[in-house]
Amino acid sequence: MKETTTSPRLLLAQRVAAILILLGIWWLVIASGAVPSMLPGVSQILAAIGKAFVSAAFWGALGKTLLAALSGWAIAAVVGVVAGLVIGSINFLDRSTSILVDFGRSFPVLALMPVVIMLLGSNARMEIVVVALSCLWPVLVQTVYGARRQEAAVSDTVAVFRIPPLLRFRRVLLPSALPFIATGVRISASVALLIAVGVEVISQAPGIGRQITLMQQEQRWDMAFAYLFFTGMVGWAMAAVLQRFENRLLIWKRQEND
Amino acid sequence: MTSATLTAAQPRAARKVRRAGGPNTGTRILQSTWLVFVVLAAWWVFSARSTNFFIPSLEQILTVLVRDLGNGVIMAGALYSLANLFVGLLVAAALGIGFGLLLGEVGWLCRIVDPIIHFFRSVPQAALVPMIIGVFGLGQGPKMGTIAFACLWPILLNTIDGVLGVEPTIRKFSKVYRIPRGLHFRKVVLPAALPQIVAGVRVALPIGITVMVVSEMFASTEGLGFYILNSSATFQVPETWAGALLVGVVGYIISMLFILAERRMLRWYYASGSQ
Amino acid sequence: MTAPVQADSQLAQSTLLMKVRGMTMSYGSGTAENKILENLDLDVNTGEFISIVGPSGVGKTTLLRCLSGLLHPKAGTIEVGGAIIDGPHPDLAVVFQDYSRSLMPWMTTRENVAFPLQGKGMNKADRIRVAEENLAAVGLAGQGGKYPWEMSGGMQQRVAIARALAYNAKVLLMDEPFASVDAQTRFDLEDLVIKLKQEFGVTILLVTHDIDEALYLADKVVVIAEKPATVVDVIVTGFGEERDQVDTKADPRFGEARARILHRLRKN
Ligand SMILES: Nc1ncnc2c1ncn2[C@@H]1O[C@H](COP(=O)(O)OP(=O)(O)O)[C@@H](O)[C@H]1O
Ligand SMILES: [Mg+2]
Repeated sequence: MKETTTSPRLLLAQRVAAILILLGIWWLVIASGAVPSMLPGVSQILAAIGKAFVSAAFWGALGKTLLAALSGWAIAAVVGVVAGLVIGSINFLDRSTSILVDFGRSFPVLALMPVVIMLLGSNARMEIVVVALSCLWPVLVQTVYGARRQEAAVSDTVAVFRIPPLLRFRRVLLPSALPFIATGVRISASVALLIAVGVEVISQAPGIGRQITLMQQEQRWDMAFAYLFFTGMVGWAMAAVLQRFENRLLIWKRQEND
Repeated sequence: MTSATLTAAQPRAARKVRRAGGPNTGTRILQSTWLVFVVLAAWWVFSARSTNFFIPSLEQILTVLVRDLGNGVIMAGALYSLANLFVGLLVAAALGIGFGLLLGEVGWLCRIVDPIIHFFRSVPQAALVPMIIGVFGLGQGPKMGTIAFACLWPILLNTIDGVLGVEPTIRKFSKVYRIPRGLHFRKVVLPAALPQIVAGVRVALPIGITVMVVSEMFASTEGLGFYILNSSATFQVPETWAGALLVGVVGYIISMLFILAERRMLRWYYASGSQ
Repeated sequence: MTAPVQADSQLAQSTLLMKVRGMTMSYGSGTAENKILENLDLDVNTGEFISIVGPSGVGKTTLLRCLSGLLHPKAGTIEVGGAIIDGPHPDLAVVFQDYSRSLMPWMTTRENVAFPLQGKGMNKADRIRVAEENLAAVGLAGQGGKYPWEMSGGMQQRVAIARALAYNAKVLLMDEPFASVDAQTRFDLEDLVIKLKQEFGVTILLVTHDIDEALYLADKVVVIAEKPATVVDVIVTGFGEERDQVDTKADPRFGEARARILHRLRKN
C-alpha cells in the first residue's frame, strides 16, 4: 500500500463511514428479526457503553483483569528471556530442551486450570499463574530463536577481543536477539489478555470475563456487549503501544534492513 | 497494515537441518530426548511420594488415562473436540484467505476497514464464548462458530500482509506478460503469499485450541474440556490431571502434524531460502 | 593511544615478535579430512608489514583464524613475544574480511570502537576518549555518533580498523580487508593503513589474493600455494617507508616481483 495516497482527512472520513455502515448492518439484522431476539440494538449497546464507562464495577473488573494479565505477562517475559538466552546460546541445552519446549508451546495451558485451581484455589494468584504459564512459551521460543542466530562475524569479534561473558550477554547476545524477543513479548501480551479473560469466563476469578458471563446469565445483553467492546479496545491499545515501543527500540534493525 | 504482522520465528522442526558432519542420528536422538526422560522420571518419583490429595502419582494418572482411553470415554470426547476445532479452523481459513486476498489486492478498501479488522483481532477471543453460546445455545454449531470467529482474524491479517508483500518485480512480470487476472491470482499472488498465509494458520491454531477448551469448560456435556472440568467438579483428581495431560499431547501432535504439512507444502520456500 | 616513538620501532626492527612453526590445519576428520595447511613456518618481526598472498580458497582465512586463536591448529606452535599462545591473545587484533557484519549494528561507531576496551575494564570516560582519538586517526573525526549502517563500506572498514587500533594490540591481523570496496576507496584505505602503521608503529600481517596490493603495502611478501598450502616463496620488497600508488607501482622492482609471484602461482 504505497502508491496512491489519500489525504488523512478523507481516509478518516472513509473509515468512520465504514464503521457506520457496519453499525447499520447490525441495526438491519436486528430489525429484520433474523437473529434471536435477545440481541440488543445499536442504540442500546451505545447507551450501555456509556453506562459502563462511568460505572465503578466496570473499572474495578477491568483493573483486576489487567492486573492479572500484566503480572503474569511480566513474570513470563523475565523468565522467558533469561531462560531463552541461556538455552539459545548453549548448543547442548538447545538440543536437549527442544522437545519439551515444543510440547510446552503447543500445550493449551487453560486445560490445566482446574488442576491449578485445585492447588491454589479460584483466585487472582491462580489466574496469574495460568497467564504466566501461557505467556512463557511465545517469549521463550522467540528468545531461543534470536539467541541461536548469532552472526558468525559477531561471534568471532567477541572472541578475538576477548569480551567477558557477562558483557557479551548484555551487549551482544541480548541486543542481537532483541528483535525476536520483542516479537515474543508482543505476541504474549495478547495471549495474556486472552488467557486472563478465558480464566475469568470459566472460573470464579473476578474480572471482565467474569462480568461478561454474569451479564449474560442475567440476560443483560447490552452490558455484555459493552464489556466486550471495552476488552477489544484494551487489547487494541495494548498492541498499539507495544508496536510503537518496539519500533522505537529497534530503529537499528529496520535501518539495517533497508 | 504491518502493525499486526506476526513475524514469529519458524517452529523448530521447520528449521533447516544442521550442517552435515555433526553427530550421528543415534547421538542426536539421545541428545534431544534424555531430558524428557529425566523430567518424566522425576515426576514419577516425586509424585509417588506426594501426600497432597491434589497431586496424584504419575502412575495413577497414567492408569486412569489408559482405562478411560480403553473404555472409549476419552475417545468420544476427543472426537467431539477435534471436530469442533477442525470445522472452525476450516471455516476461518476459507473466509480469512478469501477476504485477505481481496483486501490485499484492493488497497483502498483495505485501508478503510483496517481499524475494524484490528479491533476484532484485539478482542480476547475467550470473551466471545459466553456471548455466542448464550445466544445460540449449547450445540456444536455455536462452538464451531466461536472457534471460527477467533481464528479468522490472524489468518485474515496474515493473508493481507502476504499479498502486500509479493515482490513488485513479480507483479510487474504479470503485467508485462499480460497474465489474465484469474490466472495471476491463482498462480502468482496465492503461491507468493502462501508462506505468510500458512504462518497465519499456525498462529490461529493454538488460539483455536484454547477457545475450544474454554467453550467446553464453559458449557458443554461433551468434549475433552468437559471431561477435565467434570472430573475436577467431582473431585476425581487423577482424571483431571489425565485430561489436562491428554489435551497437551493432542495439542502437541496437532502442531507437529501441522509443521510437517507446512514443510511439504512450502518446500520451494524453504529450499530457495527466501525466508 | 600514544604512538610508540618511531625510533623505537626502528630499533626493534629485528626483534622477533611472532613465530609460527610447523603449523598444520585441516577440517573434518577420518576419511573426510580436508587438509588445508601443512607444516607452515612464519616469522614476524616487530614493526614489520607482512603480506600473505595466495589464490582464493588456498586457506588464507584459515591461516589467519589459526593465528588469531579462533581455530586450533592440528599441529605446530604459535608464539607471541616468546610465549606459546592457545586462543585469542591481547596482543593480537583482527580486522575481518566480513567487516560490515563484524560491526554491531545496535552500537554507534564510537561504541563499537570502545566495546573491546570495555571488555578490558577501562572506565567509560577513557574508552570514549580513546575511541574518538582512533576514529580521528582513521579519518572519521566527529562521526562517532553515527551507526555503522549509516556509513559507506569504506567508512565501515575504517571503523573496523579504528576498533583494532584502539585495542592497542602489538599485531594487527587483516583478512582481505579491502576486497569488497571500489577501486578508489581501496587505494585510499591502502594508503591509510600505511600511514597508520608509520604513526602507531604497529606490526601488520595482511592477507590478500591481490598481488599488487600485497606488494604495494608490504615490507615482506609471503606467497602461499598448493594443497595443502605451505609457504612457497618470500620476497623482501625494499621500497622503503614512502609509497605512492603511481610511483611505487611503476618501480621496475615492483614489476619483477609481480612476475615472480605470478610465475610461482601459475606453476600449480
Ligand atoms: N569451516 C570450514 N569447514 C570446512 N571446510 C572449510 C571451512 N572453512 C573453509 N573451508 C575450506 O577450506 C579451504 C580454504 O578456505 P579459506 O581459508 O576460506 O580460503 P581463502 O581465505 O584463501 O579463500 C576451502 O577449500 C574451504 O572450502
Ligand atoms: Mg578468505
